[in-house]
Formats: sequence, C-alpha cells, structure tokens
Amino acid sequence: MEKKYLTKFETAEGIRDGFKKTGYVCSRQVATTLYLAYHLDKPILVEGPAGVGKTELAKSASLYLEAPLIRLQCYEGLDESKALYEWKYGKQLLYTQILKDKLNEILDGAGDLESSMEKLHAHDDIFFSPRFLEPRPLLRALQQKEGAVLLVDEVDKSDQEFEAFLLEILSDFQVSVPEIGTIRAQEKPFVFLTSNNTREMSEALKRRCLHLYIPFPDVRQEKEIIRVRVPGLADRLRHQIVSFVHELRRLDLKKAPSISETIDWARVLLLLHASSLSASLIRDTLNVLLKFEEDMEVAGDNLHDMVRRAVVKT
Amino acid sequence: MLQEFISALRASGVRISVAETIEAFRAVSLVGYAKRATLKDALSATLPKSLQEKEIFEECFDRYFALDRFSGDHGEPSSTAPEPDGSESPLSRMVLEGDRDGLAVAMRRAAREVDLSGIRFFTQKSLYIQRILQRMGAERMDGDIENLTARGDGSSRGKAAFLRQAREILYENVRDFVEQQFPLFSKAVTKEIMERYLRGVRLSNLEQRDYERMKVIIKKMVKRLNDLHSRRKKAAKTGCPDLKKTLRENVAYQGLLFDLHWKARKMDRPDILALCDVSRSVETVARFMLLFLYSLSESIARIRSFIFCSNLVEVTHVFEEYGLDEALERLQKGVDLGIRLGRTDYGQAFRDFKAGWLDFVTPKTTILILGDARNNRGNPETGILRLLRERSRRIIWLNPEPPTFWGIGDSEMKRYAPYCYLARECSTILHMQRVVDFLLKTKQ
Repeated sequence: MEKKYLTKFETAEGIRDGFKKTGYVCSRQVATTLYLAYHLDKPILVEGPAGVGKTELAKSASLYLEAPLIRLQCYEGLDESKALYEWKYGKQLLYTQILKDKLNEILDGAGDLESSMEKLHAHDDIFFSPRFLEPRPLLRALQQKEGAVLLVDEVDKSDQEFEAFLLEILSDFQVSVPEIGTIRAQEKPFVFLTSNNTREMSEALKRRCLHLYIPFPDVRQEKEIIRVRVPGLADRLRHQIVSFVHELRRLDLKKAPSISETIDWARVLLLLHASSLSASLIRDTLNVLLKFEEDMEVAGDNLHDMVRRAVVKT
Repeated sequence: MLQEFISALRASGVRISVAETIEAFRAVSLVGYAKRATLKDALSATLPKSLQEKEIFEECFDRYFALDRFSGDHGEPSSTAPEPDGSESPLSRMVLEGDRDGLAVAMRRAAREVDLSGIRFFTQKSLYIQRILQRMGAERMDGDIENLTARGDGSSRGKAAFLRQAREILYENVRDFVEQQFPLFSKAVTKEIMERYLRGVRLSNLEQRDYERMKVIIKKMVKRLNDLHSRRKKAAKTGCPDLKKTLRENVAYQGLLFDLHWKARKMDRPDILALCDVSRSVETVARFMLLFLYSLSESIARIRSFIFCSNLVEVTHVFEEYGLDEALERLQKGVDLGIRLGRTDYGQAFRDFKAGWLDFVTPKTTILILGDARNNRGNPETGILRLLRERSRRIIWLNPEPPTFWGIGDSEMKRYAPYCYLARECSTILHMQRVVDFLLKTKQ
C-alpha cells in the first residue's frame, strides 16, 4: 500500500519535533511508539494516570497529520448502533410513504402476488443501501478517504462485548454490515485507545495493540511542557511551579495533581501577575491543583516546608 | 538473541504471544540494534502490556542487555601483553591482543550454543560455566599454556604466565555472566514450584517466611474472583420490555413498534458479612483467614468484616484505614477494638451479632463464617444461626478442621452445619480456591 504521511514519520526525532510544534511535548518513548505504530499499522493502547495527556496525544496527532480527529467516547452500555452504524429508520419510513405511488406504478400490471414480488426483487435492497446508513464514529473513521485519527477514549469503561467487537476493526481495519457487506478502510486510520485501568483489558485486545504507558513526567520534561503550553511565564516562576507540583505529588494524596492541572495553575499565576511563589499565594490558588478537601488539608499542613524546598531549589 | 530475551521475559512471568514476538522482530528490524535506548523503547511498546509487566521488562532488559565488558585487573593488556606469533589458538590470540569486545561476543555465542537459557537450578551454575568455557576453547588455551611452559625460554614463560592469569580472569568473567543470567531463566520455575507446594500445605503448618509468598497467591486468587465477578453479562442486564419508553420513542414511526426498549435490570453486586474467629485454637490459621478477608475487602466494596473470640466486634474500618501488615497486627492483638481474647464463645458472638447488626442482614446478604466451631462447651445458640439463615441469602462456613473432627470434643460444627448453605473444610489455599470456584459456579 502506498503510505501517506511517510515524510512525517521518517524518524522518531522528526515526530518529536513535529509534535512539539503542535504543543505536545513527548518523551523518547512516546515518539518511538508513534513511529512503530505508523510503520507496523498498529493501534496504540495508551495507559497512565488521569490527566497526563493521553487524550491530548491523539489530538496532537490529528493536528500533526492534518487529519480529522474522530472520537468515540466509551461508556457502559455502548453498543454497535452507537459506535459503528445505524439505519435511518425515519428516513426509510418517510421514503416508503413518499414513494407509495411510484411503488403502485411499478407493481401495476402484476397479476398475482408472486409476480409483484419478482418485480420488487428487481429493485433489490434500495432501502438498505449506504444512503440510509448513518455512520457512527468507527465507520466514519474507516470511510475517510484522506485518513483519520481515531480516538477510542476510555475503552476500559465499555463492556466486554464491545471490546471483543473492536477486535475486527483493530486488526483488519474493516467492518461487516450484514445488508451491504464488508467495508474496508480506504486509508487506514491512526488509532489510539486510552484506558484508565478501571478494569484489565482482555489479552486479545492487548495483543493487537502497541502498549504505551505514560507516567507523570520528570521535572525537566514538565518544565518543557509548561514552556510550550503557557508561553510568557518567567523561567524562575516556571521552575518553582514545577518543583512545587512535584513536591505535592510526593504527598499521600487522594488525587495527585496532573499535568493539565499544572498547566491550569500556571495560567492562573500568569493571570495574577505573580513573580514568585509564596505560601499565601499558593494557599489562595491551591484549589486549582487539588480537588479534594482532604488533599487540601494534607497539603496545607506541609505547605511551608514544600514552598521552601521548591523555592530554594531555584 | 531476541528470541532468547523473550523466553527470559516469559520465564519472569510476562505473557508474550507468538504474534507479539513477530511484532517485536518487525519493530526491531525497523529501529535496529544500534541504539540501546531506542531498542528498549521499541521492545517496551511491543512486548509488555501492562504497568506490572513493564516493570518486569525494565529489570529483564537491563540484566539481559547488560553492557558486558570483559574486565581485567591487569590494567592495559595490550601494553604489557606479549605479541602473538600465530601459533596460538584463537582464544589465546584474542586474550593476547586484548580484544575485549571479541571475547564478550565469543562468550555470548558460547552461552547460546550450550543453551544457557535452559538453566533452572543454582546447582547447575558450575556445569554451565564449564560448558561455556569449553565451548569458547579454553582447553586449547590450556594446551597453549602447557606448550609454552614446555618450551622453557624466557619470553615463552612470560607469555605462559600471562595466559595463565588471563585464564583466571576469563573464568571470573564467565562466572559473573552466568550469575547475572541465572535469575532470568530460573526465577519462574522456582516460583512455580514454591507456589504449587504452598497451595497444598496446611495453613497451620506455614512458616513466617512463606507468608510473603502467600500474600501474593491470595491476592492473585482474589483478583481472579473479582475479575470473574465483575464480568458483566449482557443477558443479565436486559429485563422485560419497557412499554412506556417504547411507545414514546415509536410515536415517530406512526406508532409502529420499530424500536424496542428494555428495562435495565440492576446488577447484583455481592453483599458480604464476614465473621472471623481469632481465638487461640485457630491462631495459626487466623492470620491467613484475615489476609483473605483483607484482600476481599480491598476488591469488594460492600463487605463488612467482624472478628470474634469471647465477644464480637466490627473491624471493617481497620481494613480501610491501615495497610495490610498493620491491620493484621492490630486485629490479632486486638488493639483499640474492645475485643476480649479469652475463651472462644460462639454463642456470645452470635448474640452480639444479633444485637448489633441483624438489621443489615437482607435476603441479598451472604454471611461468611471462618472458624473451627470449638465453643468450649458453652451455649452454641443454634437458634440465632437459624434466624440468620432465614434472613440471609446463604451462610457459608469455612472450617480449618477436616470433617472427621467435626463434632468431636467441644466442636459444635455438626450442630451448625445444617444451617449452612455450604460448610467446607478450608485448611489450604487449594481448599480456599475450590470454595471460590464453587461459589462462582453456583452463581450462574
């Protein structure tokens, strides 16, 4: 198959730079996995704590490839008709009503039941043609002529049956619609699946995917992310922000602050025209980082020490 | 080389299918062996498929693809080493030339040829060391040394001494290499044997040192139980048709019932009350029972745990608040719980339960009792057990004693058993597992 985007996937370093331009700082591991996923035609199963940029990765990929992002949010009870395709019942019904006269015309002259059936058969399954097919995200991703980025978000929230159903699409990039036949991908989409690990994914699904675990970034990388996402922040403050967040993550919290929360916090501090962290400033804005009352209390107890450590490091 | 690494990974407990192996080969052919970090990233994307597996992978990768350098304690070998004259064996020549990389490659090749990945027990180490040395051509090197010594002139003797020293270093290097590779291939087997053994041993005979392993086994079991339990059956979710909704939705189709809607049935989640005996008669077993309870309470949301001896107290909060070890310690010592660790009194325990928690027993509740039913000849209060049986879904009694001892001496088990949905001996992990399996089977 003639490969699209080949120039964009020549080296892992190239991918890394390209993604950075879209505002996503990826580690070497992420870039290598993207590189492999493209060359091996494999979906990527992305796991990691909430808010480390799993969904963001797919969005950036779509920006980078300049391909549409098609997103399928999974939830309990999601089924084929919502994920793959549905017949437009209303439209079918409406058309039969409108075409009633036409049908009479066609059937005119047919003597008995058998011959009218024959005549109808000649027109075949007009009401079950692609025109009456409502494509849902999965089918839409396969139909894109220019290729697409398909994001199956939080696949762990879906049921076991749906997971099994995904297998056909993931391994062969095709689906079968009984009335029409098998629909193949025009251009294989780039697939991301994200999981928060609320349940273990099946072996079969894992086998078909490349696996990528995104952990919380280290200080250097997180600083880079903040630099790209929140331009205009002073170096010193950026360093303090990131050090402080890393101090926070070391505490025993119900929910550790994620990257997206660090970014939000950096934006807040930028808005407040802060030039340096102080205990009172943090106390006022801590609710941006921590979302639980208990966590705020735990952090409040250790606030002074943490601020000192974060600020001293600079 | 990659194949061997994969078998090492498998031995350490990472499940790798053939398809994934092929994938890994394709990935490596794309990125090449040139950069260690890239190779690691590529393999990490294709082989391990969960966080735990990633951790194992990291360890195995570092161990397997360790930068093996031949170390020598004689500084720069090429400066002091005598020149080879062409009459030596290839191994001796490599040593004389100070070709460390060549030696490392030769060692790896030899290791592959003697099938080092077949090593299983530490007693095999020296055997494999000898085999590798032999395959590298150490015997011919010995021959060289003998020849040189026999020749007797100054330079030959110097060379012989040098080779002899190098031979020692070679041995040390091979030994280190085998030591380093050994855990890669042996770990899984030893673990497997230990686990099989532990499953069959009576809980009361287990030693403290097996305790850590036991924790792992029980965790695994509970996880399996939970996995099976949380698997949702589609059939169970749809109930009868929802007439109201169906009519409403189908107004658009002229009232024809195109699109049926179903009433969703609520999921049946387990609701467990667990009572565990912690008296001295079951002291040795209690620890494991509690461990089992703890693991259960970690994965099942609606479980309330109680322990009893002379009286009964609820301990659900202990499980929630503390880590495993501390929780067990607290429970067995009865810290801040108000439990009296005197004579076991099942009657009192049941009375306490009836007084405090009878309201929580609903037709959905499963009551799990862990204990030996040795009541010190007190009032067994079978009446309360009958009441519980009537109000609950079922009672399951796990007794650490074998059925032949039931009813002998002060055991009231024979009297309790009729009220139990299931009364089983539970003295080994294997028993526990069977009970779990039984429960799951009868559920469906």
